[in-house]
Amino acid sequence: MNVIAAVKAYVNKMTEESEPGMKVLLMDKETTSIISMVYGQSEIQQKEVFLLERIDSPNYANSTGLRYLKCLVFLRPTQQNIQALCAELRNPKYGAYYIYFSNIIAKADIKILAEHDEQEVVKEVQEFYMDYLAVNPHLFSIGLPTCMLSGNWNPSALQRTVQGIVSVLLSLRKCPTIRYQANSDPCKILGQRIDEVINKESSLFSFGQSGHSLLLILDRRDDPMTPLLNQWTYQAMVHELLTINNNRVNLSNVPGIPKEMTEVVLSAEQDGFYARNIFMNYGEIGTSIKQLMDQFQTKAKSHQKIESIADMKNFVEAYPQFKKLSGNVAKHVTVVGELSSMVNKYNLLDVSEVEQEISSQADHSAHLQSVKKLINNDKVREIDAAKLVMLYALRYQNHSNNDVKSLMSILKKRGVSDSLLKNTVNILEYAGSHARQSDLFNVENAVKITKRFIKGLSGVDNVYTQHKPVLHETLEELMKGRLKEQLYPYIGNGYNNGRYQDIIIFIVGGATYEESLTVHSFNKINSPSVNVLLGGTTIHNSASFLLEVEQAMRNVERTHT
Amino acid sequence: MAEGGLEGFICPRCMKDFRSPQNLITHFERSHSEEQDLLKSIKSIYGKAKKIFKLDEQDLEQFRKELNLERNLVEEPQDPGPTKSYTDYFKEVRRDRLEHRTTETNKLIIRLDRLLQLDGSDRKLHEQELVAWIDGTSVTRCPSCASSFNLVVRQHHCRLCGSIMCNSCSYFLSYETAEEIVTPVKTFNGREHRSSKESDSIRICQHCLDMLESRRKAQVEQMMQPIICQLYSHLQKSKQQIQHSVDMYSKMHNSISLGEATYALQDLHSLRTTIADKAQMIDTLSKKIASLPVDPNTPKAVTLQNSIRKATSVYIKDYLLSQPPPPTLEQLEQIKQGRSLKNADDDDLIPRERLRITKVTVTTGWSPANVNNERTAPEDADPLLEQMNNVRSYIDQARKAHRYEEVASLEENLKMLKEIYRKQQREKTGRKSD
Repeated sequence: MNVIAAVKAYVNKMTEESEPGMKVLLMDKETTSIISMVYGQSEIQQKEVFLLERIDSPNYANSTGLRYLKCLVFLRPTQQNIQALCAELRNPKYGAYYIYFSNIIAKADIKILAEHDEQEVVKEVQEFYMDYLAVNPHLFSIGLPTCMLSGNWNPSALQRTVQGIVSVLLSLRKCPTIRYQANSDPCKILGQRIDEVINKESSLFSFGQSGHSLLLILDRRDDPMTPLLNQWTYQAMVHELLTINNNRVNLSNVPGIPKEMTEVVLSAEQDGFYARNIFMNYGEIGTSIKQLMDQFQTKAKSHQKIESIADMKNFVEAYPQFKKLSGNVAKHVTVVGELSSMVNKYNLLDVSEVEQEISSQADHSAHLQSVKKLINNDKVREIDAAKLVMLYALRYQNHSNNDVKSLMSILKKRGVSDSLLKNTVNILEYAGSHARQSDLFNVENAVKITKRFIKGLSGVDNVYTQHKPVLHETLEELMKGRLKEQLYPYIGNGYNNGRYQDIIIFIVGGATYEESLTVHSFNKINSPSVNVLLGGTTIHNSASFLLEVEQAMRNVERTHT
Repeated sequence: MAEGGLEGFICPRCMKDFRSPQNLITHFERSHSEEQDLLKSIKSIYGKAKKIFKLDEQDLEQFRKELNLERNLVEEPQDPGPTKSYTDYFKEVRRDRLEHRTTETNKLIIRLDRLLQLDGSDRKLHEQELVAWIDGTSVTRCPSCASSFNLVVRQHHCRLCGSIMCNSCSYFLSYETAEEIVTPVKTFNGREHRSSKESDSIRICQHCLDMLESRRKAQVEQMMQPIICQLYSHLQKSKQQIQHSVDMYSKMHNSISLGEATYALQDLHSLRTTIADKAQMIDTLSKKIASLPVDPNTPKAVTLQNSIRKATSVYIKDYLLSQPPPPTLEQLEQIKQGRSLKNADDDDLIPRERLRITKVTVTTGWSPANVNNERTAPEDADPLLEQMNNVRSYIDQARKAHRYEEVASLEENLKMLKEIYRKQQREKTGRKSD
């Protein structure tokens, strides 16, 4: 199960079916993202696609076309797109049209389109199921920044998510058994809707291997800790501190950034260094970059010593020819340089250490002290201070000496923004113990805590990566065939044969890159007997997660805090 | 040995076989020193590529290796998922609709042609004979703009369909344009212009105008073949030829690197030169495309032309220039030694690779035949000798045409002939000595 390969296979098929000739690719906003996740412009050019157009761009309708081009149309089957395409076919800008929809389309819409093709320019009309963003081979996203509205599914987000997951299943040729997190209505609704589509489109889903694959739908609220933590592996760290959006990182806020670096592309498909270091931790990336720079240095026969990341930056800037040759390396030096300056500036190492301890050990008074100390420290950012309080509040929600009140008053005194203060309350409402499945059973909870405690004693080699997402344990139990039916029931008349070869985990409310790492490591150990694919309504960092929480809790009455 | 291993070693195009960056660097350095003689013309691209290769390729290589390892661990190859086609249904719907439209358009054209042939005298009458005009007595408003008819806003009829409209909703088809429409595009100009006799035009409604115009547009565009299309198809054809040569090159390179004697090293060199020449040709072609003059109304053409140029230079840089260079004579000698001794120097990785390959080939039962270069002079008119000479000339011809497959099979023929001839001679001398 490799979603990147699945999307690539479809794109290749698309470019090959249209026969040789100069081509233009006409897309909408979302399909542009879908394609750009797997192919760079120079790669798609090798497939004779020389122009990229957006049907929803305001200038498109009035622009002039080139009749000697073939037009590949790749659109989501939305009403706006059908209308725009009708207008396009009535006054075709290009000579021939090969139309591909990213998902299941109504036959009535095909009829409308056909009625507008008066000049007989359309050669193909097909469904190619790639209605999702393939982030890594084992990770996909639906691309919805938020999905909940006032405690329930946002209806349009639900619709989009059903479409997204259905297309994932089709593109990988899976017709899975569906299980969902029992205490979450959104999970149940999503599962049922997917099941409905599978039954309705049974001819499409006739792969006949349903017993071996599983779709497990989880709720973000069962693990609110993971998206709040600072991250130390490359991809996760970049996303947490700089934000990755469709493989792109915006660096325009970095002071003194060269013009060509204001937005950089981080794609493991096109960037070897990134692919190698995507799951490496902060320390290891520094070493990798230094090695790379050393190589350059010897090649340039330069005698300049490179000791710090600042030196590296200077080195790259001092050699313009290198900048040209190794735009890639310069890019990573810039990114890592920015990460390291943020780590120092905001005391992130200290913050992270406390975050990790709270999340993976139990020691109330010590943790309260550390949190107090840090949120009083001016170097610590407001958001980090607020997040520390959130973690504490989640961890010790039911502790007898819980002292969230005094922490809140410290935050207030610091002048932390109202929206952040509100979110510290919201998060308990969103994912407090009432919303979490694991907390519903006290025995299990206690075992979990002691387990963590023992882990904490047995010499952890890296204090910044002690935390393990809840997903880790879920996967382990799933592997052993011990995932309780009571907690994760089946949809329809599913049966439990205990063993699955292909497991698709979907997190309503967004996955994280830390969980992606968990899945990656899990696959490394268990492949090829078990393959896990992770997906989410989006890929969160703490900032986007807090927005999701805010959206989800809008106009919800406080009943649990 | 497994099939997979065999494939891994033999494939020379991807540099996966060079197991360490060091080997790769040496390989690249050799590659580029070679290429400089051959590819002077594309030096600019090449110069850049050379530097990039030296720096990045080894990292890329490492990455590729790791990725391969990982892929082997984690993922099976991915076939494209299912698809569902609506093309037939679409065409069916379209056909039903277009049939109606086509007949309607054709009707209009026929009427238009007749209108053009009318004489000026009693035109109005004749016009109404061609198509019945709608009775306007009950029509109080213009059907297309809804302004009511009166003394100022008067009723008019479309000469093609007879429908009613006001003056501002009327369109006028000049005789010249009408002439163009009824005349087949190809033979236009061949027909005599009749427009001189009438300076006015034909009043028609928007609906009819739309139908006529879209037909006309489609016809004109079918005829149009802008220069960029010709250049581009030329470019693609050259690329296909190059692909053919590159496939042949890698096959020959493979075989020679294995120490086989099927192909000659000199042929490999000349094929390489051919590839370089063609690379230069497509480079020039793409430059030509990029510098084509562009109509200011179609700014997209600029982007298109530049993209084609960029894609071509990437293709040359990343694909053509990254073909491995032919082995040097020394290397070839080493390979041959490696084959006989089965004990090559392990310090240099390339011979080691080849040693392994040699083992494979031995187990597959291939046995080397030494090329006998001894030439027998055609003293007497032995038919065998004649045939051998023929074959030799075929070989020369095939070589000139870069048909190296044929060269190889002809060489094989020649060898057999020689074998037979030698046998005969031996028998003869044997009989003589008896």
